Amino acid sequence: MAGILYLMAFVLQKESQKADEYLREIKEQSLLSEAVRQCVEAAGHEHEPETQKTLLRRHFTYRRNDNTHWFTPSLSQLLSLNFPPEQFVSMCRDLRVLNAVRDYTVGIPLTHTQFKQMTVQVLIDRLVYRKLYPLAIEVCRYLKTPEYQGVSRVLKHWACYKVQQKEESDEVIAKAVSVKLADAAGISYSEIATKAYESGRTELAIKLLEFEPRSGEQVPLLLKMKKSPLALSKAIESGDTDLVYTVVMYLKNELNRGDFFMMLRNQPVALSLYKQFCKHQEQDTLKDLFNQDDDHEELGNFYVKASYKDQRLEARVALLQSAVDEYYKAKNDFSAKTTEDEMRLLRFQRKLEEEKGEQLVGFSLHDTMTTLLSVGLHKHAEQLYKDFRVPDKRFWWLKLKALAEKEDWEELEKFGKTKKSPIGYLPFVEVCIKHHNKYEAKKYVSKVTPEQKVKAHLAVGDMEGAAEAAIERRNESEISTVLSRCSATTDHLLMERLNRAKATAVKK
Amino acid sequence: MASHLFCGRVNLNILREAARKDLREFLDKCSGSKAIVWDEYLTGPFGLIAQYSLLKEHEVEKMFTLKGGRIPSAAVKNIVFFVRPRLELMDIIAENVASEDKLKPREFHILFVPRRSLLCEQRLKEKGVLNSFTNIDEYILDLIPYDGDLLSMESESSFRVRQSLNECYLENDQTSLYHAAKGLMTLQALYGTIPQIFAFHVANMMLRMKREFAGSHTQILPVFDTLLLLDRNVDLLTPLATQLTYEGLIDEIYGITNGYVKLPPEKFAQKKQGEGGKDLPTEPKKLQLNSAEELYAEIRDKNFNAVGAALSKKAKIISAAFEERHNAKTVGEIKQFVSQLPHMQAARGSLANHTSIAELIKDITISEDFFDSLTVEQEFMTGVDTDKVSTYIEDCIAQKDPLIKILRLVCMQSVCNNGLKQKVLDYYKKEILQTYGYKHILTLKNLEKVGLLKPQSTMRNNYPTIRKTLKLWMEDANEQNPNDISYVYSGYAPLSVRLTQVLARPGWRSIEEVLKILPGPHFEERQQVPTGLHKKRQPGENRTTLVFFLGGVTYAEIAALRFLSHMEDSGTEYIIATTKLINGTSWIKSLMDNPEENLP
Repeated sequence: MAGILYLMAFVLQKESQKADEYLREIKEQSLLSEAVRQCVEAAGHEHEPETQKTLLRRHFTYRRNDNTHWFTPSLSQLLSLNFPPEQFVSMCRDLRVLNAVRDYTVGIPLTHTQFKQMTVQVLIDRLVYRKLYPLAIEVCRYLKTPEYQGVSRVLKHWACYKVQQKEESDEVIAKAVSVKLADAAGISYSEIATKAYESGRTELAIKLLEFEPRSGEQVPLLLKMKKSPLALSKAIESGDTDLVYTVVMYLKNELNRGDFFMMLRNQPVALSLYKQFCKHQEQDTLKDLFNQDDDHEELGNFYVKASYKDQRLEARVALLQSAVDEYYKAKNDFSAKTTEDEMRLLRFQRKLEEEKGEQLVGFSLHDTMTTLLSVGLHKHAEQLYKDFRVPDKRFWWLKLKALAEKEDWEELEKFGKTKKSPIGYLPFVEVCIKHHNKYEAKKYVSKVTPEQKVKAHLAVGDMEGAAEAAIERRNESEISTVLSRCSATTDHLLMERLNRAKATAVKK
Repeated sequence: MASHLFCGRVNLNILREAARKDLREFLDKCSGSKAIVWDEYLTGPFGLIAQYSLLKEHEVEKMFTLKGGRIPSAAVKNIVFFVRPRLELMDIIAENVASEDKLKPREFHILFVPRRSLLCEQRLKEKGVLNSFTNIDEYILDLIPYDGDLLSMESESSFRVRQSLNECYLENDQTSLYHAAKGLMTLQALYGTIPQIFAFHVANMMLRMKREFAGSHTQILPVFDTLLLLDRNVDLLTPLATQLTYEGLIDEIYGITNGYVKLPPEKFAQKKQGEGGKDLPTEPKKLQLNSAEELYAEIRDKNFNAVGAALSKKAKIISAAFEERHNAKTVGEIKQFVSQLPHMQAARGSLANHTSIAELIKDITISEDFFDSLTVEQEFMTGVDTDKVSTYIEDCIAQKDPLIKILRLVCMQSVCNNGLKQKVLDYYKKEILQTYGYKHILTLKNLEKVGLLKPQSTMRNNYPTIRKTLKLWMEDANEQNPNDISYVYSGYAPLSVRLTQVLARPGWRSIEEVLKILPGPHFEERQQVPTGLHKKRQPGENRTTLVFFLGGVTYAEIAALRFLSHMEDSGTEYIIATTKLINGTSWIKSLMDNPEENLP
């Protein structure tokens, strides 16, 4: 049928009425669309542009007839017709590309079938291979190939070719490349630079790398070219820790230790990363680094850490002494003094361990005192309290809890009477109750300050006392607290009293 | 399975699907039956991407935990290591590979998460095993979809990593910022270029990102209008405060990891008749918490004091729904009722769970301890006596309360006073070292390095200025029907979220004085969006802002941002991204340094 259509078109071109007859014939066989499709396809196989045109024109002819309008259809009309135009449009495009490469100046006589099989990508590759860069770019633009696979790729190939042109100077080439590639997306300058380096033009390679927006991409080549300081700064710029490490490790093997350290010194980011690495992998190097920087604070910390790795007390104390020295050099008096305290404590603990057989070494001051109290070594605990200038309040809490834990109520009572408690007596009440000793707890209720009376009475479960105290103080919120703890069945009378008091307290 | 990811304004499931696709592709690269050897840390984050069923579909037959020695025998063709790029893990892998049975060799593969590392490969080479691997690949898992409006990198202690670098170069941090930038690139590849960027304190990352993004324009209509990068250093205060939302308290008390919480089992014992109460479960109850659960989505962001009422209201609705069955007369009505039954039963189960959790939390929130420490926190935040030694903290140390509680409070006092007087600071430090042990000296130093603890410089305390200008303290915070973000901390409006709120309206220009005080410069950048991709907003359509918290975000901050999203005429909806979900405890913990721990 396509044949008939072709014939018809031919006749139509001469404006003959016969066309209508041909058309009707095809229409009757309801194969119109098939015929059109064949026409378009046939155009693809035609090498002569004029024949291609005729065949493609059939497409329009048919449409015009179908609509019984005899004017040139606009694109929008084309689209509004129910025959899908995609095939037609893409065929037109393909043919244009094919016609271009079939030109004698190019000389790639491809058939449409061949073209379809080898894909646009390969065609572009072939053009690139023949160094027909402008045409390749034209094709990419015309076929709207995504920039990354299309124009950018061609430009990259062009640049790779350009950098091998020995007769031109580095400056000229670098400039030409940068100008041409400026607007292209996703160009890998490092690849181009590699090409330049491979053709023995290191200086040009470095120049080109400058254009690479992704610093990370520059690093491997720079290392290859033995431009390690530049590689290091580019790696740092990239922000990719792993890349920095890679360069640092490379440098570590390449340079002697002194030069290596010097180089790190000029790159603080690399230095701190390397320190991180050493912290986990090479403790001794870490120390050397701190030494080089006169970083006494960090050296102190280093010795403190080391002291925990040694089991022998003498070694630990010696390491702590080194830490103290460093902290003083760093003018960190607080750290130095507390470290000295720790040394003192360790010696004390060791001595007592030997004398009394109690395990103490490594405990905090607080835990040491607690342990001593719990085994009845009150004097020794007192000694620590004085030697280390433990605040009274803390020592009282500590002793109170330790004695209650031991259930040494007698000693606790004695302790409570030694002097006026700096923490008051409510803690005594509460700690006794916590250890389920209401009897002992009651002993301290009377000593509690007026503000805490209600709480103390409530703690020991003395509702009457609590009510008494609250009413006496005419404190509404305290009265309410007591009320909330009263039970309606047993404390009936008490509640009445409280409510009355509350009323007056409110009035007040 | 991932229904919680659909419910937000932005479909975060696209991200999850992309991650799943990559995983499948890698698994198929190692053809044949396989066993995965897991770096234990990764199992949690991976759980957010894929369940075991997906792995099984791709012939994963066994899973082991990475440890030294020989890999347990398994009749599989491939052994695949899923690991973070860490040298110590490479040593273990090398040991595994070296002790492999030479007679029945299996193929080895490594999948680095989130990125391949030359350093690690070098290590494997040194150990002589690099050539034993058929595939070495990377699985780029930067931002993991966590909930409908939440992405997390789930990185380990990212705040610490930042700080342990030389302190002069805090802002020059590498790893975590690098990963964050990469994560944002992935995000923009899927959701389009974000036209407008605001950033605080993260200049380098901004510049780097701009460079890297150049030339990678995506042809996608931008989903996000604005990106706000917030560095945790800008707001050190918020994470220290006790969160008072329901979800925040669950996290404070029990800790939520990778979307799961483990709870004491007693309250969840199934009360079945006939069995008696003798076998109480001893395993902790593990619950997944996300917005897929209707009730949880409703109450998670409420102030805890409003949760009780919400639960009882829900209970009434559910029992009313069950009562409906008495009204069902016709076959049709009964059928209708039965069809709703599974949904109703799920709702009842969920109600029972949350009632139990609420009871557990209430036991703690009504305790005197909780109340006292909250009172002190609020005093600090309102600027009461922040320049003196606090007797409350003193007493807590004397009673040897948990160290982290002490550190949180001391740091908070320091932040609210813009540093402590040297005498006060030294006193606290000495008390802590004497009570909890000298070994914590390094922890204290770390806290000083990051600025959570510091001696007062000659500069005056500028916290009150920040507090007043940004209205960080709202006296009449409404917990039941909130009208301001301050409800999440019962009075304190998180600084980070306030900054976000002001940025949307009326804009940062209105608070320039405060911006000058806050650490680090702030930036605004615009990214070119390809022509034709400019978003045309319908009138009344909200803007979408991505808020990226570098260094961690708390659940209460998230709740506050959700509150802003839902607020009438707020005009902006927020999607949240972070390096890690944190609370004060986990945050301080990540900064602790215990020299006894790493003993050989």
